[in-house]
Amino acid sequence: MSIETTPFSGKLDSGVPAGPLEKKWDSYKANMKLVNPANKRKYSVIVVGTGLAGGAAAASLAELGYNVKSFCTHDSARRAHSIAAQGGINAAKSYPNDGDSVWRLFYDTIKGGDYRAREANVYRLAQNSTSIIDQCVAQGVPFAREYSGELANRSFGGAQVSRTFYARGQTGQQLLLGAYSALMKEVDKGKVTLFPYREMLDVVMVDGKARGIITRNLNTGEIERHAADAVVLATGGYGRVYFLSTNAMNSNVTAIWRAHKRGALFGNPCYVQIHPTCIPVSGNHQAKLTLMSESLRNDGRVWVPKKKEDCKKDPNLIPEEDRDYYLERKYPSFGNLAPRDISSRAAKEACDEGRGVGESGLAVYLDFRDAIKRDGEAAIRERYGNLFDMYHEITNENPYKVPMRIYPAVHYTMGGLWVDYSLQTTLPGLFAAGEANFSDHGANRLGASALMQGLSDGYFVLPFTVTNYLGTHATELLKKVDTQHPAFEAAEKEVRAGVQKILEVGKKGSRTPTEIYRDLGKVVWEKIGMARSEKGLKEAIVEIKRLQNDFDTNLKLTGDDKLNKNLETAGRLSDFLELAHLMAQDALDRKESCGGHFRVESQTPDGEAQRDDEGYAYVAAWEYKGRGKESTVHKEPLVYENVKLSVRSYK
Amino acid sequence: MVPLTRLFSSTLGRKYLMGASGMALVLFLVVHLLGNLTLYAPNGDLINTYAARLQGLGIGLVALEVGLALTILLHIFTAIQVTYTSKLARPIDYLSPKTKGGPSKNTVGSRNMIITGIVLGAFLVVHILQFRFGPSMEEGYTTTVNGVMVHDLYRVVVEAFVQPLWVAFYVGCMTFLGFHLRHGYWSAFQSLGIINPRWSKPIHTLGLLLALLLAFGFLFIPIFIYFTQSGGGNP
Amino acid sequence: MSASNSKTMNVRLKVWRQEGPNAPGAFEEYSLSNVLVDMSFLEMLDTLNEKLIHEGKRPVEFESDCREGICGTCSLMVQGQAHGPVRGATTCQLYMRSFQDGELITIEPWRAKAFPILRDLVVDRRAFDRIQMAGGYTGAKTGPHADANAILIPKDIADRAMDAAACIGCGACVAACPNASASLFTSAKITQFALLPQGHADRKRRVIRMVDQMDKEGFGSCSNLQECEAACPKKISIQNIAIMKQEYLKAAISADFRAGMGSADGGA
Repeated sequence: MSIETTPFSGKLDSGVPAGPLEKKWDSYKANMKLVNPANKRKYSVIVVGTGLAGGAAAASLAELGYNVKSFCTHDSARRAHSIAAQGGINAAKSYPNDGDSVWRLFYDTIKGGDYRAREANVYRLAQNSTSIIDQCVAQGVPFAREYSGELANRSFGGAQVSRTFYARGQTGQQLLLGAYSALMKEVDKGKVTLFPYREMLDVVMVDGKARGIITRNLNTGEIERHAADAVVLATGGYGRVYFLSTNAMNSNVTAIWRAHKRGALFGNPCYVQIHPTCIPVSGNHQAKLTLMSESLRNDGRVWVPKKKEDCKKDPNLIPEEDRDYYLERKYPSFGNLAPRDISSRAAKEACDEGRGVGESGLAVYLDFRDAIKRDGEAAIRERYGNLFDMYHEITNENPYKVPMRIYPAVHYTMGGLWVDYSLQTTLPGLFAAGEANFSDHGANRLGASALMQGLSDGYFVLPFTVTNYLGTHATELLKKVDTQHPAFEAAEKEVRAGVQKILEVGKKGSRTPTEIYRDLGKVVWEKIGMARSEKGLKEAIVEIKRLQNDFDTNLKLTGDDKLNKNLETAGRLSDFLELAHLMAQDALDRKESCGGHFRVESQTPDGEAQRDDEGYAYVAAWEYKGRGKESTVHKEPLVYENVKLSVRSYK
Repeated sequence: MVPLTRLFSSTLGRKYLMGASGMALVLFLVVHLLGNLTLYAPNGDLINTYAARLQGLGIGLVALEVGLALTILLHIFTAIQVTYTSKLARPIDYLSPKTKGGPSKNTVGSRNMIITGIVLGAFLVVHILQFRFGPSMEEGYTTTVNGVMVHDLYRVVVEAFVQPLWVAFYVGCMTFLGFHLRHGYWSAFQSLGIINPRWSKPIHTLGLLLALLLAFGFLFIPIFIYFTQSGGGNP
Repeated sequence: MSASNSKTMNVRLKVWRQEGPNAPGAFEEYSLSNVLVDMSFLEMLDTLNEKLIHEGKRPVEFESDCREGICGTCSLMVQGQAHGPVRGATTCQLYMRSFQDGELITIEPWRAKAFPILRDLVVDRRAFDRIQMAGGYTGAKTGPHADANAILIPKDIADRAMDAAACIGCGACVAACPNASASLFTSAKITQFALLPQGHADRKRRVIRMVDQMDKEGFGSCSNLQECEAACPKKISIQNIAIMKQEYLKAAISADFRAGMGSADGGA
């Protein structure tokens, strides 16, 4: 099947405004094109995804006066996976008076991202962070408060200040419900039309501009055409390529991958965050892993036995001197709050040395004994009660009495569609926001920053940049394109054929989508996971191609083209199989170690990641060339005018 | 302000009516029971005097009776509406639904308020016919208290309760009243929203006490009369 | 990834199957052996579906997403109880260790007129969205607002608001209620904004419109059975329903709330 793509012009322009760092965003806003209020109602914008970025963008654009069409795969906009974020959201409010500032949040984020993020984007993110908190409080988000009535803060990994705002262990839920409520207000006013149960399967390009999408109605199976003047993709990350991850069952790469196939470049696909505190894998039946909030590391101490032979012993019987609190030992100044990539790798190392605990030997302890002794069980229950209960339910073990067992799991993907400063992809009129873009976290994301980025993009960036785009191309965009246009016709035909092909193959083959998917996950986890080697990556590509072939010829599927979860899984798997190939390619290409990307060939003598700023201080933006074919890379050099690149040390 | 018709046709509005009428009926029951305590007096003088005093209210009594009847009708009417709406809301039921326990007040009694209500409604008809419109003075049911001729209500009551079937009927119906009150009393507070977490439990417990007190208070009367009167005095 | 030491069990399943919204439905029985005791309930259903696909049969459609009890997507009536026998948990947080070896487990969809069945165990819960649409928000627009600490909210109030806001919109309250009433869902949102000062400007309009919409969707009437609270995976209290009743009555008889405003706005 041939997909008509928009060839890449060859030049990546980040579009960052000139001027000092702290004035760039103001300068953008001062110089942007506006759309007059009466004209706004003449434009329509498609927003795919209703998580923090998508929900916030749809609500904000509708408030401005645009006609917004909001799409999600769920029954309701409230179910997007942002809802599962537990810990909190960062903001440089500096309420605790502990020395925080916009600059420090910016600096921590750049450093946490191992100097692989674009300075201007990150600075804007830090600037917007404070408005986000004001916005959410105005919406009635019930953040945790002190007895004084003021907002409470906690600390999080990778920072030495307390700048994290939270709502119990359900911060993502509360922020999402805030965005959702803002969205529903606009639906009520008639400015937003909801399209639930829709999966986006293609972007429609007309005269070089994104003018619509093709969707499949997951209930009825109908393939539908939707036209607009700009398209925003806020469809989340692609962590489910690992099959087992903390992402929701329905999280997928399909929307951004279809855009990628249409010509949008994909940035840094190999940057994946492996979260250090998840409940370990218990068996082959498992469909999903569960995250335990990183906030647990504020009070829990991570350790493994010093001696291998202690690993199967009752942990409470292992004396203090036989315990290795390895994070505190290796990183004394950050201790248990070392950034995620570092903590995850340290856990892997401990287990690789044979000191892992639990039945599988793939786990480390997260122990609250000392915290309970210090603050009392009631205080710990107050702070983490719901997390402890969750752990208890899943493992049938009481974490107040026995240390938790944790192990890293895939959690977040820093890579995504390449976007410029205005969050526009290389396809004009197609924007990407939140986890779906590559922009703000570099090679590693700090805790409590995903919520911040999603809301910053949705509430405070896209309303300006989409307006600028519409204003700039007003003459062209006011000539409306309708869904009878040949470009829609062609895209719909391709989508229809793609679905039919899966159903046809599915009648003859022998392997279910889940079986192939599980195999893919295993390859990606073992070879493009916490440690990557040239040999492993090359093997991965061979295996991925074999699995692609398996999928294309030997798939087993039952049911029809109406509501059929396995058909959905199969369609998404098809895209994951291509994405996995690209991830391996990107990881091979980046011979340095940085953040979440650890190449075993590039490490310091003591086993820490070794960056290569001379060779790799760039964003790798990949161009699609076809299934099973090698993609081509385009590079956006990362220029640091304000921070000095240094070895990231948390010691 | 929203129009009253709209207010009281909402599911919440109906529950306000149901709760308020229920509360009024509980109040009536308490007064009624207090009045009926006169039946425990050795001869019928006390109850007959009480009845005569009530009759003496004249138009006032009629007003009270009409008010009571309207309250009961309102209670029944909203009950039918509530039940009907709820049946419509779940056209197909589960195979065998089960309560999840914990704070749930979902019991055979609370779930079947409409059944206990229907029984009480039917009882009410019988009860009123039997005593309010039962054998009158014209039919010779008279007696004198302090030299004044009055209706011998006591005789009407005794004649009924010396018969074991009537006793059983009253005891049975009052048991239903107990179940109805057990959920209804607390429920009225909740329906009207005049409850808070601090008072919810005490009110619920008070509901149990009230249900026991009223049910036993009423049902003990026929038993008492049966055992004290059926052996001796009256024919 | 060894599961060698894990205990296994056999189960029989009685599952509601229905092709589409207007098709007739019926129970079908399946048996599944060597189910791991440590499996989650939904993983057990995943296993059943793999088996069905291999047998050339259409898998059982059911919904789930986060599988950690927060998104509110999963929705099964297990053994006549919403989200199964464990209190304070969603179906995805239910583990096979809660069942007996050889047990016959009945699995039904949420049943309510306002939640039509789409296929098998999947129901359409968009009625909740429409209730939310009618007023489940503050009027705050996107953009600059007063500093977050300009509004002081006592901790107790913030905590109570959070208790109400914890609702995940799963619909268990409706499913469990013998009357299929949506009072708990609706009241939780109303209470959150009745408690917080941010919600006060439009609190009367909110409660009138949301209750009107709830009634319009065809949910039943609340009979104060508290089964919703017992079934709620977030243990949301029916105290919220009492607050909703106060709010509604106050708004309905309030002189400064303009009559018919709800209907003028499409609320009635």
